[in-house]
Amino acid sequence: MALKKAAKKTSAAAVPPQLLWKRDGADFLVTNDFGHYSWLKKKDFDSLLACKVGESHPLFAALSAKGFVRDRLDFDGLAAKWRKKNAYLNTGPGLHILVLTLRCNHKCLYCQAAAGGAAAKDTDMTPATARKCVDFAFNSSNPGITIEFQGGEPLLNWPALTAAVKHARARAKTAGKELKLALVSNFSLMTEEKARFLMENEVSVCTSLDGPADLHNKNRCFSGGNSHAVTLKWLKYFQKKNEAQADGYRVFKPSALLTVSRYSLSRHKEIIDEYVAAGLEDIFIRPLAPIGYARNLWGSIGYEAKDFAAFYLKSLAYILKLNRSGVVIREKMAAMMLDKIVNSRDPGYLDARCPCGAAIGQIAYNYNGDLYTCDEGRMVGWEGDDVFKVGSVFKDSYAKVMASAPTRACVVSSNLEAQPDCARCVYKPYCGVCPVYNYEVQGSLWGDMSSSDRCGLFKGIFGALFALLKKPGNEATLKKWVDK
Amino acid sequence: MRNIKNKTVLVKVPLADYDLDTVRYAAHAVSRAAHVFIKLDGRSAAAVEFTPTGPVSGKAVAASFRAELADEKLRAAIYAANRELRDFMILKALSKEETPPQAPQDDSGLTPEQEKELDALIAQVESEIKQEASAGASKDPLGITRTWEDKYGAKKSRKKN
Amino acid sequence: MSKTAKKEGGLVLDAAVYSGEALRLAAFVFSDKAEITLKQGKGVFEVYFEGAGPEFSPGDYLNEALNQQCRLDLAGKNSKAAGMIATRALLSAAGNAGKKA
Repeated sequence: MALKKAAKKTSAAAVPPQLLWKRDGADFLVTNDFGHYSWLKKKDFDSLLACKVGESHPLFAALSAKGFVRDRLDFDGLAAKWRKKNAYLNTGPGLHILVLTLRCNHKCLYCQAAAGGAAAKDTDMTPATARKCVDFAFNSSNPGITIEFQGGEPLLNWPALTAAVKHARARAKTAGKELKLALVSNFSLMTEEKARFLMENEVSVCTSLDGPADLHNKNRCFSGGNSHAVTLKWLKYFQKKNEAQADGYRVFKPSALLTVSRYSLSRHKEIIDEYVAAGLEDIFIRPLAPIGYARNLWGSIGYEAKDFAAFYLKSLAYILKLNRSGVVIREKMAAMMLDKIVNSRDPGYLDARCPCGAAIGQIAYNYNGDLYTCDEGRMVGWEGDDVFKVGSVFKDSYAKVMASAPTRACVVSSNLEAQPDCARCVYKPYCGVCPVYNYEVQGSLWGDMSSSDRCGLFKGIFGALFALLKKPGNEATLKKWVDK
Repeated sequence: MRNIKNKTVLVKVPLADYDLDTVRYAAHAVSRAAHVFIKLDGRSAAAVEFTPTGPVSGKAVAASFRAELADEKLRAAIYAANRELRDFMILKALSKEETPPQAPQDDSGLTPEQEKELDALIAQVESEIKQEASAGASKDPLGITRTWEDKYGAKKSRKKN
Repeated sequence: MSKTAKKEGGLVLDAAVYSGEALRLAAFVFSDKAEITLKQGKGVFEVYFEGAGPEFSPGDYLNEALNQQCRLDLAGKNSKAAGMIATRALLSAAGNAGKKA
């Protein structure tokens, strides 16, 4: 029988429990380590700080249930909530990104991957290396793993892809792990035969869709044709197959990612309308990061955090407007953050967790078997700096990789409890830092959040979400996004 | 506050009111908008210089710094008062093994004190049963044929809250 | 920067405000932009900059030193909580492999 256990009253002046806060106009947003939040008027915030939220206070029930009243703390309940929210601390890397080739037949403006031309076959992963990577992935301490095929353009290396898929499915039968397979592709090289292989082996597919044709094709240059047209063609193909389903295997809905360049900033409605018209129910509005190749072009394609925040808020508001008129579309980043905020659930978003997912949540396998903390770390390696290299599938054991210096350094430097700004930030329960970004942009794994654009960006996103959650109508719609 | 040059603004902070950690963090928190330099002004004050690096004026940076000082002082006090509790909660959360959900247990409707009393009673009964059994074999060594009332008298009422 | 705090070619910083560790860490962060040397005096540190390119500013160095100092200040108070989380994350990732190691 679980009872609320009262904390001992100290003989010192009463203090509230640990809480974080931010002033927003006349209101205050308060959060705590357990992921609870509350919007308060100033007088109620002052009462909370003065420990004057007694049983007769109108907000007593709500605030005490959320752990904001010190002598009503439910230790067991709050600990369970913290545990649930941080469940990823109990497992190892779940995402394994196999970079099958650095070759690509697109020249996307913002490509961080420093893709090579389609002829550069010396940057292809061999089938033997692919199988070795799969074996390494199955060493993970995570009971469920996702192997994601990326590039360059992974369809340029079909032999390695098929070898990895077959080997992974065979290993999954005896490994006692749940296996998911995913492909990130520009679809330009998709054929019916390849699609059939992917579906029969339950490989989910994801592509990029940057908006209407002129915008998409401006961002994603394809000399072999119309990138936008071929993307839509195969999206529709996989959607039809998903609706029809098949005997013996599941066909997953295809998904798409949006990368916001400077050219996107004034066109949020058109972009979202394009997703709706394409039959997509999720849009993942991803900001550009000045990492790898994109760093060199930042002057022409980049933007400030405040510009992205404005774009993001307008996009969210438009999506909610569409929802109210019955259109099913939700923003993926918001949905993941809301899952944390509303459900205290870990959505598996490796960029926004403490510590970040570098090595302990994901591993990037380069075409030659070199292992990196993440795909961004691999891109830094491609530029000649192996600070984020954690080992090699040919030389290093799983244990050695998990204990490697870059792994430990990323864990320590992305621990929000050790970051001076994050430890005090109202969004700390839901956020995360990226040591790779910090290193590339600010010169150290720790970075300096007070002047970090990435921090500014995330604050903008959280600010937008919490502002929307303040309004009951929006709150109900947003919570539906994460009802499961 | 005084302007040293056109741009740089100096703010003196009494260390009797704010400790150095607080001054440092508050200055750091506004450092996106300015270059910050801190030195001690004797033993009783810290002198903080802000040289704006962007469109925000030195005056505005200084105002933000003062607001941050007040916030940080409060945060530090709350943090210090809760540190042990917080460490305990994190340790508690990390220590517990995840177990599969169990079937809901019947609620006896008793308070913890009453549950303890009942447990003690049961333990006493079990002890007496063992004593009787060890005293010698009988036709009914466990007293199965004897009623509860025969053994222990009438039921005690258990008050519910 | 006030004249009293400047020494020719460098800065004079209160050791009570900026620890040597914070200054050294900040110097490392800027090691690709300038050669930064530290000299400890009585109650002060003298910081000298050489070979600095146009993109380098002593003010940026000071902000980074303050950033590092704040991080060290926090570590002094929060190391237990931070350590528990980091340890758990690394041990879980290592899993059985970690136990064998």
